[in-house]
Amino acid sequence: MTLTAPKTALPPAPASGRGGQPGHRTAARRREALTGYLFTAPTIIGFLVFILGPLVAALYLSLTKYNILTAPKFVGLDNYARMFRDERLATTYGNTVLYVGAAVVLINGFALLFAVLINQRLPRALTYVFRSAYFFPYLVALVYVSIIWQALFQKDTGILNYYLTALGGERIDWLNSSEFSKVSVIIVDTWRNVGFAMLIFVAALQEVPKDMVEAARMDGANEWQVFRRITLPMISQATFFNITITIIGAFQIYESIIVLTRGGPGDASRSVVMYIAEVAFNKFDMGYASAIAVTLFVIIMLVTMVQFRLRKSWVNNE
Amino acid sequence: MSNTTVLPSRPGAGGPGAGASGKEKDVRRRRPGPTVGKSISVVLLVLGAIGMIAPFLWMFTTSLRDASQAYDLPPQWLPTEWDWSNYADAVSGPVPILRNMFNSAVIAIAVSIGMIITAPMAGYAFAKLDFPGRNSIFVGLLSSLMVPAQVTIIPLFLLMRTFGLLDNPLSLILPGITGALGVFLLRQFFLGLPQEIIDAARMDGATAWQTYRLIALPLAKNAVSTLGVITFLGSWNAYFAPSIFLNSTDTATLPLGLVLMLGPYGAGNVAQVMAATTIAIAPALIVFLVAQRWIIASLTQSAVKG
Repeated sequence: MTLTAPKTALPPAPASGRGGQPGHRTAARRREALTGYLFTAPTIIGFLVFILGPLVAALYLSLTKYNILTAPKFVGLDNYARMFRDERLATTYGNTVLYVGAAVVLINGFALLFAVLINQRLPRALTYVFRSAYFFPYLVALVYVSIIWQALFQKDTGILNYYLTALGGERIDWLNSSEFSKVSVIIVDTWRNVGFAMLIFVAALQEVPKDMVEAARMDGANEWQVFRRITLPMISQATFFNITITIIGAFQIYESIIVLTRGGPGDASRSVVMYIAEVAFNKFDMGYASAIAVTLFVIIMLVTMVQFRLRKSWVNNE
Repeated sequence: MSNTTVLPSRPGAGGPGAGASGKEKDVRRRRPGPTVGKSISVVLLVLGAIGMIAPFLWMFTTSLRDASQAYDLPPQWLPTEWDWSNYADAVSGPVPILRNMFNSAVIAIAVSIGMIITAPMAGYAFAKLDFPGRNSIFVGLLSSLMVPAQVTIIPLFLLMRTFGLLDNPLSLILPGITGALGVFLLRQFFLGLPQEIIDAARMDGATAWQTYRLIALPLAKNAVSTLGVITFLGSWNAYFAPSIFLNSTDTATLPLGLVLMLGPYGAGNVAQVMAATTIAIAPALIVFLVAQRWIIASLTQSAVKG
């Protein structure tokens, strides 16, 4: 190695912790920075072209009247004002909020129940079979499982009603009544997603220190107290993750409804996303559809932010 | 705390050490009726598992029956005959299912290959390279995970229309080959890689690219495979964007083809639809059988570790 005298013109190189002469250091740093930009370039370009750009464009379009054939016409906040008079929007938002609420309660409730049951000392093969069975639907496209379920839901020929009447119940019009069409959508959504949430809970339950639980039991705590005071706080991180994921997922519910009920009867089971797609791509009212999409984005963002704010108060961070 | 807290952090790693289970047994023995509780939970778990698997079983059984018996009640849960003609009919029906499957495969493979090239590079840069703006760019990228597809779909549709890419697989491939989730997963992995390995390679005169390509990337093999599988399945299962960008039966992906085949209000031939659905589910089943363990591990880790 030959020492080259540091050139005074160069700015002082910050300590990089790596070898090399001061003169080479800035060059090396510059080269590393360049490499960093090159390595991230495809991702950044993809982000700008396919996410950030379209997002900004959606915000702009939401302020215009645009039917694709003629140029967008700026109309200010008209589209947003129009939303308050749109009864179909109110209906579809109502349905969507119902789907979100049901998803949060049912998916996480069942997932936690099954996770606690599975987390007991069961034979290993049994645990494996259960975990696999619950997880499998999550890997299959929502479209495909919905296709299966719509056959099971058929009023006269479906299996569900067959067993229902065999048990002495009444036939239910799962897909064509305004109440039960929503129930069907919720059933399929819960059924498909419970396994993933369960796995998250199982992973968290395995991290709960066993000796802490034992100590509590020794001190006379009953199972419920152990669960309430030790287990639940210890898995709050997973609960937080699951609730956030189920909320975001349920707000975007779409293809299961298309397959099961086509949004019907009327708009009885239609979600906001279905309504956006209809306004945008059947009626070509791009401006108004963008405005609705923007509200959906804002709502999802707000819910996520509120979740993160609340997180500090109830999530146990070691 | 005792050694039992130092459990392997990998989910599914089995029970704790022998000492702990011995302790556990002592406690159990004094407790009345743990076996009763356990039996009840096994019964509940079995019921749940049946509920999860039954629809798939019905699908498969129905796919093997004559269409006229597809809805026979009481339902048959096990195949009474092994008649594969529904598969042949489904494939040669008015909806070109094989063509749709080929389209799905092309898109899913292209997207996965693109993703496992771009995401590890970016993840490595965000974890191991120093460049101005690194952290703010990363945070910006991550926040894009919050942007629902429904918000960007209209401008994307207009963009694809402008470039004549509607009804073209490129409209799904191009937006799919990069993504923040993959970058995040791989950055997490590379952060855990000891800096000494990187520094040693650089000392030996390797360029940044060589260090990445020959040292870091091979070590990330598992993380990259997971990303590849997740990306493939995500694309294979996608419905929303394809349903908007593709509008002819020849360019349609498999999910679109199946919905077409099902027809409005489930009027299509049920046995054939179930045969086609069985074919469509096959890749998920293969992935599930081959890679279940590490997919579960990598999916759950991020949530529990936060």
